[in-house]
Amino acid sequence: MGVFVFLPLVLPLTVWPIARLAEQHLHPRTATVLLSAAAGVLAVCSTVCLVLLMVVGTAQLPGNPLPDGWSDEEVREAVPYDEVAGRAAIPALLAVVAACGRTLWVHHRVRRRAVRALTGARGRSVAVLPDGEPYAYALPAGRGRRGRVVVSTTMLSCLGGGERRVLFAHERAHLAGRHHRFLLAVHLAARANPFLRPLRTAVSYTTERWADEEAAEAVGSRRAVARAVGRAALVSRGTGPAAALARFAAAGPVPRRVAALLEPAPVVRSWPPVFTTAGLAAWTAAAGTTVSALSSANSAVTLFLVLKAATPL
Amino acid sequence: MDQERTGRPRARRRGQGELEVQVLSALRQAPGPVDTAWVRERLGGDLAYTTVITILTRLLAKDAVVREKAGRSFVWSPTADEAGLAALRMRRVLDGESDRQAVLASFVTSLPPGDERMLRELLERAEEPGE
Repeated sequence: MGVFVFLPLVLPLTVWPIARLAEQHLHPRTATVLLSAAAGVLAVCSTVCLVLLMVVGTAQLPGNPLPDGWSDEEVREAVPYDEVAGRAAIPALLAVVAACGRTLWVHHRVRRRAVRALTGARGRSVAVLPDGEPYAYALPAGRGRRGRVVVSTTMLSCLGGGERRVLFAHERAHLAGRHHRFLLAVHLAARANPFLRPLRTAVSYTTERWADEEAAEAVGSRRAVARAVGRAALVSRGTGPAAALARFAAAGPVPRRVAALLEPAPVVRSWPPVFTTAGLAAWTAAAGTTVSALSSANSAVTLFLVLKAATPL
Repeated sequence: MDQERTGRPRARRRGQGELEVQVLSALRQAPGPVDTAWVRERLGGDLAYTTVITILTRLLAKDAVVREKAGRSFVWSPTADEAGLAALRMRRVLDGESDRQAVLASFVTSLPPGDERMLRELLERAEEPGE
């Protein structure tokens, strides 16, 4: 097995260039699904790898509840640098579990609090709130509750009639496509392995692009969507936590969204041909994910067999 | 929000949000500033006096009602309607949760200074005839 046992931990690095290529060259729907799936698989593989290392690490500790056979020479041979790696895996795995648990908890708390905040607000699918801040959000559907678009009066008053239609079409696309599930998946993946953070950023962008494209189809004009997104961004500038995070080199997501809308519509293909940039990105991502899955499956099976052999029955 | 940490049962917590709305709509139907007993009676009288006080105080903390001294007790009047209360509560959620991006997909994110110039240029292009 050798150093291959560590492969799933670092293979997420292969998706860094791919994330950027996919968000630029693939249809946003394809990119969202592909990148979220890749993030999910890579995160699971890297966690499986951590669990295996932790088993070996824990088995060495005196007074552990695991069978003594699990710290035998042959098991330890299966993992290189078993002393360091095994011990390091324990806090790493605990950190992963804690971070993922926190993310899930925050996710449910925000949803619960937002739903509770909206008690008494009229409108089944749209809640218009009198607020001096311009904002618009899509609140996902929950138990027995429809998804709702939450928008402030200030945001509506800054937009013309056509632009409001764009805004509602965009938010409804988020709700209909259940984009929050993709977002939650990549947020969890980024917690499981920090190397997957660029995928989280990429999917946050591609879900917005996806909703923009759906809105463009609904209102029948890409330029109208570009104008609405631009106008809304200009009125909400300087508010919110992201304002503090100035980007230096790369353009932020909003100008890129507007620029993409001013370009011709992206082509929907189920799978792009290999010899294009997009195809190369998709195929490399798929290959990286497969290798990661195979190597962690290989590690898991091998270690399982070794442990089984070492456990006296 | 505050009771979340004290760990009261879930059903009761959910009830509090609805009670706030009920108390506020009762106040909005009142002929003028009214005292706590009036609100309690208006809600059917099956709530404890202290519960009504608690809810009014919570509404006061959210700037949805104001109170003034009248004799030995307070009289209350609303400053917000139901939608206004929802807005105030939503604002607390938005301001209080820095980690909300995974749940609430925002229409736009805020713009760093460099992006604003770029965006204005793009919008000029979008205004050009050509579609």
